[in-house]
Amino acid sequence: MTTGRPPQIVAFGGGGFSMEAGNPLLDDYVLSLAARDRPRVCFVPTASGDADHYVVRFYRTFAAHCEASHVTLFRRERGGGAVEGDLEAHLLQQDVIYVGGGSVVSLLGAWRAHGLDRILKQAWRRGVVLCGLSAGSLCWFADAVTAFHGAPTVVRGLGLLPYSNCVHYDGEPARREEYHRFVGDGVRPGFAADDGAALHFVGRALERVVSSRPRARAFQVEPVDGEVVERPLAVSYLGDVQRNLAAA
Amino acid sequence: MTVRDRLRGDPQILAMGGGGFTMEPDNPALDDFVLSLVRVNEPRILFLPTASGDPTAQITSFYARYARRASATHLSLFRRHGSARSLADIVLEQDVIYTGGGSMRNLLAIWRAHELDELLVEAWRRGIVLAGLSAGAMCWFAGGITRSSGPPEVIEGLGLLPGSLSVHADGEPERLPVWLAAVRSGELPGGWAVDDGVGLLFSGTRMVRVVSSRPGAAALRADLVAGELVRHRIEPELLGERGPGQRPIPDDIRELREVRELRAGLRRS
Repeated sequence: MTTGRPPQIVAFGGGGFSMEAGNPLLDDYVLSLAARDRPRVCFVPTASGDADHYVVRFYRTFAAHCEASHVTLFRRERGGGAVEGDLEAHLLQQDVIYVGGGSVVSLLGAWRAHGLDRILKQAWRRGVVLCGLSAGSLCWFADAVTAFHGAPTVVRGLGLLPYSNCVHYDGEPARREEYHRFVGDGVRPGFAADDGAALHFVGRALERVVSSRPRARAFQVEPVDGEVVERPLAVSYLGDVQRNLAAA
Repeated sequence: MTVRDRLRGDPQILAMGGGGFTMEPDNPALDDFVLSLVRVNEPRILFLPTASGDPTAQITSFYARYARRASATHLSLFRRHGSARSLADIVLEQDVIYTGGGSMRNLLAIWRAHELDELLVEAWRRGIVLAGLSAGAMCWFAGGITRSSGPPEVIEGLGLLPGSLSVHADGEPERLPVWLAAVRSGELPGGWAVDDGVGLLFSGTRMVRVVSSRPGAAALRADLVAGELVRHRIEPELLGERGPGQRPIPDDIRELREVRELRAGLRRS
């Protein structure tokens, strides 16, 4: 099946329905990329251990205006409304695959055990929009900075995007310092995003940065002449865009 | 070496087919038995609910059962708990590590991703008691039968204990034929199928006791002998009335009985 859709990833530093109740800007932005009235959106809550409350919040947010479904890797024998049978066929039919937050290390371990890493790569190549926050952002990159247990560390992600990634950049000052140190020590250059900022990649190139909060920022972090340099990226606040559309 | 380290004995594993606080809210027999395996007062017990994705209900039941009698904590691999302590520090200070049930495929994959599998092997070697049910029991064996992907299928374990284990033999009977077929074909080594409520206690790699929290529950031993599947039923000691301090059957007597039963099984087949 060739769809003519380019591979796309929207990686949130934080935000969306699980972190910004009442602020649908980032989620709406992702849905707008699907170019369909009722987009097919599948939630993958692996990083939270398929937490029930998280799945419920997903359906509350998306079920009214999307064909919403979710994948569980923990309760496959009990169903519970999740996709049963052929995960691959289901995921490849989606417009958007939305990956929730939690532990990126646990997420990658469980995905590899179920072959989801391979399926998601294929979905990406076929133009299914991949998005997510926190662990659901880190997982798409080659190098992911995580601080889930103990000190921050770098883990290998799926590598669809050949960069490093750091999330919740504004939330925890220690992360910024550690990220710079990692990049200085040879971790590949990459992108950092605040809560509320999202990096939109088309193919492997950063297309634009959008935000759900007026002051959310994103940065490109790379070594220049032996120094780690943090370059602020231009961010489009989606609230302004929406206001302008309403005014037009 | 601390006093705590010196009080630790040989490596011990209690593998339960089902039961304990997550499955038997009104029956503390197996949990009492778990605590009877350690010699220290105020034992430290760590709950690993990884196989179910750290659900709140399991964690709450764990504390309800253990918090008053032990220094109880849990380790989440999905939720942040703000601790800067390394997994090694957390795991190796325990007296008991209790692993919950759920998806064995996820359990092993996630432990490996966090390098927790190696730490648990080290904990076992040091004499920290490993106790668990279902996926949290089969994981210590060479292999077992999982429903991680829906239908029951063979899965490889960490291999601390030789042999295979199949769980919920009475509660989920669809596992048993898959396990027996795997033993018959040699895909899995011989081993045990255990009912809900039944626990196999291993000292080192040797099974020393079979206990049960429920009358009527049992364990089944199956082996491939000269191309034939040989099985026999093992009657467990019933925990509770006589308490967990019941005297174990000496190893030589048990072995004699097993040989006798094995011969009887051979004659039948």
